[in-house]
Amino acid sequence: MTQVVLFNVFNGLIVGAFYALMALGLSLILNLSGVINFAHGGFLALGAYLAFTLIPYVGFWGALIVAPLLTAALGLVIERVLIRPLYGGDPLYGLLLTFGLAYIFEDMTRLIWGAQSLPFQVPAWLTTSLSSQFFFVTGYRVFMIAIVVAAVGGLFAVLNYTRLGMRIRAGTRDLDTVSTLGVNVRVLRSLNFGIGIYMAGLAGVLAAGLLGLSPTLGASLIMPSFVAIIVGGLGSLLGTLLGGLLIGVASGLAAVYFPSASEAVIYVMMGLVLLVRPRGLLGEEGRLH
Amino acid sequence: MTQANSRAGMDRRGIITSGLVLAAAQIASPFVIRARAADAVRIGLDNPLTGTYAANGKHELEGCQLALDEINAKGGILERPAELVVEDSTSGDAGAAVQKARKLIESDKVDFLLGNVNSALALAMAQVSNEKGVLHIVPGGHTDAITGSSCHWNVFRVCNTTQMEANAVAGALIKEYGKKFYYITPDYAFGHTLETGLIKAAGALGGEKVGGDLVPLASVDFSSYLIKAQAANPDVIIFLTQGDDMLNALKQAVQFGLQNKVHLAGAQQEMEPLEGLPSEARIGTWVMEWYWNQPGVPHVADFVEAIKKRTGRVPTARHWFGYVSTWTCAHAANTAKSLKAAEMAKSLQDFHLPPEVALGPNPAFYRAGQNQLIASLFVGDAQAGGSAPDDLFKVTKVVNGADVAGTVEESGCKMIWPTT
Repeated sequence: MTQVVLFNVFNGLIVGAFYALMALGLSLILNLSGVINFAHGGFLALGAYLAFTLIPYVGFWGALIVAPLLTAALGLVIERVLIRPLYGGDPLYGLLLTFGLAYIFEDMTRLIWGAQSLPFQVPAWLTTSLSSQFFFVTGYRVFMIAIVVAAVGGLFAVLNYTRLGMRIRAGTRDLDTVSTLGVNVRVLRSLNFGIGIYMAGLAGVLAAGLLGLSPTLGASLIMPSFVAIIVGGLGSLLGTLLGGLLIGVASGLAAVYFPSASEAVIYVMMGLVLLVRPRGLLGEEGRLH
Repeated sequence: MTQANSRAGMDRRGIITSGLVLAAAQIASPFVIRARAADAVRIGLDNPLTGTYAANGKHELEGCQLALDEINAKGGILERPAELVVEDSTSGDAGAAVQKARKLIESDKVDFLLGNVNSALALAMAQVSNEKGVLHIVPGGHTDAITGSSCHWNVFRVCNTTQMEANAVAGALIKEYGKKFYYITPDYAFGHTLETGLIKAAGALGGEKVGGDLVPLASVDFSSYLIKAQAANPDVIIFLTQGDDMLNALKQAVQFGLQNKVHLAGAQQEMEPLEGLPSEARIGTWVMEWYWNQPGVPHVADFVEAIKKRTGRVPTARHWFGYVSTWTCAHAANTAKSLKAAEMAKSLQDFHLPPEVALGPNPAFYRAGQNQLIASLFVGDAQAGGSAPDDLFKVTKVVNGADVAGTVEESGCKMIWPTT
């Protein structure tokens, strides 16, 4: 039994890393722009579908690079046209808009690619198990961890060592002052949104290798992202990372002892965090005002 | 009204105007409906078009549409044109399914109700159709209760019960793989009855349940369950999940290389998840309810061609369910020479489908006193590709439904007819 528990914890960390990747993009957008992007799952699914369409032309690796970029480009367009007019207003408007966008994305993918699940072919050498004992450590999952580490590392590098990153960090604390100091806040928000959507697209390509590629892919993955942010703490990217890992492990452990609750346990955790420490584990007080 | 308010978009006048337009649309719609052919016979389809079961629902719809065109080409139902009224029940919202069913019956005045892919929604809709006395055909909802403990005189079912599927495949599983089963079961009505059925059927042959997990519907990651399953050391891991859950579970199991340590199999399988799997994951022994590649069986090739022409793909069991359901409506009315539900239901008791609708090697008939279609089941192995790129299933045995259906008493159905 201990072995099963350990396996599940280890596996939970792998799954949690994936949740963290999704949640980081969402957190980035939320922190700077104050927009609750319910369409994040839709962008994720779009990234996956674009990769599926591109694979026959540029192969899996090409699709891995290009699909998130295309998704980010679409994200930039949507930000400019639909979301920018809502800045500074009630966060409810942003939520309503992105909520509607989520439905539109789902039906759009159903219309273009069909309701049928599509076979997403990942290079064969990736999808084999690396160890007989730790059979759930497949090449694909290790690859996924590597991508997540690279993406998270890249994100933290951008945020801490580039001018853009510094401005984003400053903007999450006090956007008005940043604007007064002469930074083009509109461009800043657009770029930030684009980075967040890039991460969603990347998560989508990774998800398609693990799960079935169907129009409901986004809807099934969006909620753990939100829970990861709430558990880890609004306003803290490190918290989001931690939140993602925690809910991955919690879900895995629940599956050992009480499988019916393995989906519900992450919401129970969210409820507990909201009751005991509403700002989240590493969050800052008064974030969403 | 401050500056900020009017700049925020919708002003008060705009909101009132849009509200009035919405209200007008609600009232106007029946008038729009009445503009349809006044003497058409209407068949209402209340099936998922969105959500997890969208693909299954769409395929059943395509089967219905083919049948409808054939029916109308032959003169329609009782010399009147037949019409299909389609509503999206959603994949899991029973409230929406029931609301749509009521709308179809009360506003659209359908003569027949068809649906649902989701067993739970089918049961909910059956309550409505029974209350309103409308003939209801369930194309693809499998839970036993529909023609078992919750059977109604007006509700007929085309697809098999979960017990029939279990009875058909249990022997093959034990013979091929061994007696120790670990069950991965979706946690809802269909999953529960399928597991119970398979435990019973396998048990009669010496099979043993060494463990199992009830997995929430729409689970994304199955690694925890697969880790547990492997630790229990079974001969075979039985996947009872369906649709995308089946896809995810099998895909992940094969990525783990589990097929090299343990066998992977299950009961009900369909083309839709098989098509969504990467080729290396198309493995295992399963039972299908209808398969397109039936060499030597008359009329099947014509049906396959007709569906291919309309949709660009081979038919799945879902296409056949929709096709049979719609043709059943026509035959019920034409045989009873009436559109009265009770008379049509009586005419369907022990009704044998003509071979060009049955599309299988064994006779297909609705068993009297249970309203359950008894036809054929196809036991076989999934394969990456056989005679054609879409030949994903190698049939090893065709089972006669009559041999695995048990008795009407065993089903638990006690049919009560209306006293008109």
